[in-house]
Amino acid sequence: FQVRVVLKYRHCDGNLCIKVTDDVACLLYRTDQAQDVKKIEKFHSQLMRLMVAKESRSATMETD
Amino acid sequence: QFLTELTRLFQKCRTSGSVFITLKKYDGRTKPVPRKGHAESFEPADNKCLLRATDGKKKISTVVSSKEVNKFQMAYSNLLRANMDGLKKKDKKSKNKKSKATQ
Repeated sequence: FQVRVVLKYRHCDGNLCIKVTDDVACLLYRTDQAQDVKKIEKFHSQLMRLMVAKESRSATMETD
Repeated sequence: QFLTELTRLFQKCRTSGSVFITLKKYDGRTKPVPRKGHAESFEPADNKCLLRATDGKKKISTVVSSKEVNKFQMAYSNLLRANMDGLKKKDKKSKNKKSKATQ
């Protein structure tokens, strides 16, 4: 029922963490690579789009 | 409005610490569901989401609807990418020391 996405960026540690949970499953992705920032940012946009989409059917694709 | 705040937030913690960003699906409910089976008098809207950002001290939040999501996303992704640049770069052939990523 509840989907939550949390993005945590730590400049001093130099890493980025993204977590997605729907209260059933929890996915966590952590990276310290600059090349992943683009992926995470795209992923985050996808999630945002899904959340504002009216249809309840969500077709998500890429898993990395 | 929110984007300006968010930009400032990122700028502020560039050297100091963490930035937490949360994205939640928002159903338009502003008051908790009452216990006594009182039927909801309005339709929960299904096409909005709640976006929050904090640096541990200051918190900002906004509601994004499908109309705003396009505009918001463009600015927002630029913001994310521009600010999360403290990460390690891994390229085999680095020609110049200072390489700026162009998009």
